[in-house]
Amino acid sequence: MIQFIKHLLRFIFFALAQALVFNQLEIDFGIQFMIYPLFILLLPHDLNIFLSFIVSFVFGLTIDSISNTFGLHASSALLIAFARPYIFKIFETRDAYDPGSELSLQNMEFRWILSVHGLLLLIHHFWFFLLEIFKFNELLFVFQKTILSLPFSFIICILIQTIFLRKTKLK
Amino acid sequence: MSKLFAFFKRFQVFLLFVALQFFALYIYFTFMSFPKTQILTSANDITGKVLVVKNDVTKLFNLSNTNLKLQKENIRLRDKNPISFIQIDKKSVKIDDTLFHQQYEYIPAIVINSTYDKRNNYFTLNVGSLQGIKRNLGVFSDEGVVGVVHYVSKHFSIVKSVLTADINIDVMIEKTDAFGLLKWDGTHARYGKIAGISNDIRIKKWRKVVTRGGSGIFPRGISVGKISSISSIEGQPLWDVSVLFSQDYRKIQNVYVVKNLLKTEQEKIEALIPEDKVE
Repeated sequence: MIQFIKHLLRFIFFALAQALVFNQLEIDFGIQFMIYPLFILLLPHDLNIFLSFIVSFVFGLTIDSISNTFGLHASSALLIAFARPYIFKIFETRDAYDPGSELSLQNMEFRWILSVHGLLLLIHHFWFFLLEIFKFNELLFVFQKTILSLPFSFIICILIQTIFLRKTKLK
Repeated sequence: MSKLFAFFKRFQVFLLFVALQFFALYIYFTFMSFPKTQILTSANDITGKVLVVKNDVTKLFNLSNTNLKLQKENIRLRDKNPISFIQIDKKSVKIDDTLFHQQYEYIPAIVINSTYDKRNNYFTLNVGSLQGIKRNLGVFSDEGVVGVVHYVSKHFSIVKSVLTADINIDVMIEKTDAFGLLKWDGTHARYGKIAGISNDIRIKKWRKVVTRGGSGIFPRGISVGKISSISSIEGQPLWDVSVLFSQDYRKIQNVYVVKNLLKTEQEKIEALIPEDKVE
């Protein structure tokens, strides 16, 4: 129950922060800050996959409805939810993930975070910008936006984890 | 049959993913051309209220700037007020004017949400159908055109701004009277393009570009910007004209929605044009 409320509060926090703050920050060169994938990355790793699909889809639609993107964020959020279990499996540590522990910066090594979060953010950003622009003759611009936005999003995701999250106690 | 169920069972995760993904992409691509439901846009009641609160906070940052702009516009309008004219000929009699009928009506509005960095940028206004807003009305600010109303709810409306891929407002270049369609290529929020100007027309840099008023959405002569560069397109008898917008869409606050009272009349008479027969 506590877990449910925690994730519900996170849902609201990330949706509002993304739509009202980070979508309004617009620098040149096509750089965009995307922090909302972090919500999906921090969902429990042993969550039912169907449930995680539904949650991330609704989450994406919430952001869409505030920022007038009509399903763009929902599609990208769904893609991370789909890719998440596979990436987790590839980068599995020597002993399996503890059930109930949160796969955040506090509980995992930085190298694991760098590779898993980095890779999933890369997939998300590329898919998002590809759909947004949707022209093959501007593929270079898609790459430019993806490569330039990625470090910014990643650094902010790390900052949010260091500021707001605490180490979960293992029983 | 049991094989079919086994297939579904095996690929159920992937199938759900595909179904939801298909749904998301379907609404994404259909919404851009014609919106159907209100719930997924910022014109619905909950997100509209959230955006109003957000605007209440952020509008204060631009307050002094907005005031200055409104003051300038006031001065311009005050100049036209009869009070500021001296009557020279005392003998003339004022007659109620029947030569001029009102064609355009203006509704003031505030932009409560806007972006400029995306490929298609939509603005949310704080007026809706209760204030008489309808789809396909023009929107402009005191500095230039802003866009066309795309979707209306009771209290809010969404504007398809000049910064979208297929805005196609008809514009003309002052003095030359050459006209074309305004486009945006999605790279920089200050520069647009005019398509369809034949390269045997002489045009000069820094000429003003204004709306033509052909489709009855905008009145004639609302400022769009200035020509910033001209180059020829290879293989086509057309100029590649770039426009520097007079309105900076990155800091837009107060706008007007314009209602053409004679639009139905214009549409009715234009529908009488016989279509070209295809043989």
